[in-house]
Amino acid sequence: MTRHVEVAVIGGGPGGYPAAIRAAQLGKNVLVIERHKLGGECLNYGCIPSKALIHTANVVREIERAKEWGVDAGPVRIDMAKLQAWKASVVDRLVNGVGQLLKGNRVEVLWGDAAFRASQILEVRLRDGGYDEVTFDHAIVATGGRPSDLPAFRFDGARVISTKEALELPTVPSELLVIGGGVSGLEIACMYAKLGSKVVVVEILDQLLPGMDPEVVRLLGRRLERLGIEFHVRSLAKAWREEGGKALVDVDTPDGPLQVRADAILVAVGRRPNTDGLDPDRAGVTLDGKGHVVVDRQMRTTNPRVFAVGDVVGPPFLAHKATREGRIAAEALAGHAAEADYRALPSAIFTDPEIATVGLQEHQAGTQGIRTAKVPFAAIGRALAAGDSDGFVKLIVDSSSNALLGGTITGPGASDLISELALAIEMGATVEDIALTIHPHPTLPEGIMETAEAALGRAIHVLNR
Amino acid sequence: MVREFKLPDVGEGVHEGEVTKWFVKPGDAVKEDDPLVEVMTDKVTVQIPSPVTGTVLELRAREGEVVKVGSVLIVLGEAGETAAPPLPTPTPKAPPPWATPAPSRRKPEDALPSAGAVAAAPSVRRLAREIGVDLERVPGSGPGGRVTEADVRRAEVGPPAATPAGIPTPARPVDATLREERIPIQGLRKRIHEKMSKSKTTAAHFTYVEEVDMTQLVHLRDHLKAQADRKGVKLTFLPFFVKAIVAALKEHPTLNATVDDAHGELVVRRYYNIGIATATEEGLTVTVVHDADAKDMWALAKEIERLSTAAREKKLSLQEVQGSTFTITSLGKEGGILATPIINWPEVAILGIHRIERRPVVRDDQIVVREMMYLSCSFDHRVVDGHVGAAFVQSVRNYLEHPATIFVGTE
Repeated sequence: MTRHVEVAVIGGGPGGYPAAIRAAQLGKNVLVIERHKLGGECLNYGCIPSKALIHTANVVREIERAKEWGVDAGPVRIDMAKLQAWKASVVDRLVNGVGQLLKGNRVEVLWGDAAFRASQILEVRLRDGGYDEVTFDHAIVATGGRPSDLPAFRFDGARVISTKEALELPTVPSELLVIGGGVSGLEIACMYAKLGSKVVVVEILDQLLPGMDPEVVRLLGRRLERLGIEFHVRSLAKAWREEGGKALVDVDTPDGPLQVRADAILVAVGRRPNTDGLDPDRAGVTLDGKGHVVVDRQMRTTNPRVFAVGDVVGPPFLAHKATREGRIAAEALAGHAAEADYRALPSAIFTDPEIATVGLQEHQAGTQGIRTAKVPFAAIGRALAAGDSDGFVKLIVDSSSNALLGGTITGPGASDLISELALAIEMGATVEDIALTIHPHPTLPEGIMETAEAALGRAIHVLNR
Repeated sequence: MVREFKLPDVGEGVHEGEVTKWFVKPGDAVKEDDPLVEVMTDKVTVQIPSPVTGTVLELRAREGEVVKVGSVLIVLGEAGETAAPPLPTPTPKAPPPWATPAPSRRKPEDALPSAGAVAAAPSVRRLAREIGVDLERVPGSGPGGRVTEADVRRAEVGPPAATPAGIPTPARPVDATLREERIPIQGLRKRIHEKMSKSKTTAAHFTYVEEVDMTQLVHLRDHLKAQADRKGVKLTFLPFFVKAIVAALKEHPTLNATVDDAHGELVVRRYYNIGIATATEEGLTVTVVHDADAKDMWALAKEIERLSTAAREKKLSLQEVQGSTFTITSLGKEGGILATPIINWPEVAILGIHRIERRPVVRDDQIVVREMMYLSCSFDHRVVDGHVGAAFVQSVRNYLEHPATIFVGTE
């Protein structure tokens, strides 16, 4: 069957489905082509399931810590099957929601694998093995990416697993090795440590969370140790073999070779774009050296009728970036003057403690023309009252204008707190503006107000330097 | 049920409107189609009728306030409903997606679009992009030099009259109010300011003038007058002009077009919506006869008369003032001899119609008295070459001089 649509969106994840809905809102007739599940990595195998499990792990941790506060709920038992079923129900609900939203916006979904055949033609291999041809006025490539593995550690779905399987384990592994001390490796490391696993993390570079403010990483290191997580930087996992019902992994560390036993080896070392089989070259869509689709600020590829958004255009691999790019592409193809124009791209990391950043970071900023201010959560009443006062708010400020340039928050609620800083940066706000905005007491955002005051040399709850 | 009513999205570049008058106040009962509010957009002043029968719970805009398309104007409830509780936020079926827990070896800012360093809110940046204002060149009036929406709007109209640096603006003399008057440029007048300068600075205007012998058409109209009176239709020359122009446009399709400067494309329309520049109390408005090619002379006459009455009575709907593909400007009896009309940008041509008067002309070596008229037609020379524009006007002239040919058809 051959059909024509105004807009063909390839992939129904956090880049594709908002793009499809936005294009439909603008009066376009839109088709989403999805080969697996609506919602993509984010809803099915990433953000959402990991947050469901991390939430549960935090509850377990809180129950244990509550003994210090006079609450003894006895030993915690974890029914992993029940937990997985609950997590799956959360995911299902959201995935169904995406389907409903598409339907409500009259976006049709075609289930199959798409490949370009010409500049305005796609061929879709349907689930039943047949083929459909789709011609389009515009296409949006939102095919995402997938976890990379390593030559010595190929994914086998059993011992060597990706984040996807790590979030679907039927039992809590008693010993877990995580290769890669980046965001998703550490989130899962913290989660399983709280659920009772013995966790070892191996990172090849010289710090965990490469690129992150070293002050944050030092705090994170202390907290990982408190959770019983063993980590090795500047270390290389070389090979593994099956021995005595476990995997035995050889690791080179600066202190010498090490053998680590593990029930599961999580490889979390990066992602690669899903462009194989898509034949972008047939549509005149150019890829860069790493296989990412080359786009301009309107998300337009080298074929002016084809746009690309999300992980497939390269890092940072963030769902909210994909979503914004999807909207931009939809509006641009409808003739609007939309383009990527954000001053600040926040990111949130759900480790223990949470870490969130936006804009310029202190260690990238140099000292020229900027100043920083920092207030620890230990100075914030609400953090102490919640029994979680590790961490701080740090603001990076333009010395001459007092405009906020960036911020780092680590500690309780960091992932929720960061949006205030993102808004401030987008609005061109100064720390004066933040300081003059009353923040309610007793809450965690007081930490932001207090840090803004500190940047002006007039904080109340810390001593001004 | 509480219902929020928003300023409708009407497309065609209408982004906002000024609330000029409320016809209702909170607590009033309204019936469906009762007028709620008068809103002045850059095209026209419209009365917006109530979409439902019910009670007015809350007005969300003051008179004089400029509201954006899509923002809530009024909150209506069912008849008898009183309190205006805060509207519950609808529960989204899917949450905003969160950060993908994906390892990235790069700094989060690596892929950030290199937005300029101008301090301006995201909405202001978008506005600047949409109306083609370079933010770097806009002086910010907000705290810390932040660029505000008003700054961008000012920059769109044109740079402010230069005040030489260091020379303070003299204070207005006390008696200034007696010797001069300061009339705020706002509402429709402001839109006219913006549209006229946009057209003049964008399109490369050239004007071509031709003389037309209207004698036969004057006779035809006189002949039809009695019929028109019987039908109760006011028969002016305008419907004939519309007919002649549509016929000529069919021969010269690139003149029935708009320029899409953003994409570098000429959008040739295959429908014929003829705009007629109309004077109203507030200023110039272009009313639009939609699908003029599908209407006969009488239907055109009626429609033109209806639009002109609606314009006088400020009862035009947005539909009636947008979507034109070619515009006519006529001053009727005050039509003068010649003019250099400004194109209704982004259209590519405008036809000016002048006074018809009896003048001596030479026919077969005899001086005779004929009904003569000039046509002034301005073209966007970027799109329309001189000979194309000339051919179009000659075609219009032929139809007008031999009115029967208008009805012969072009196929």
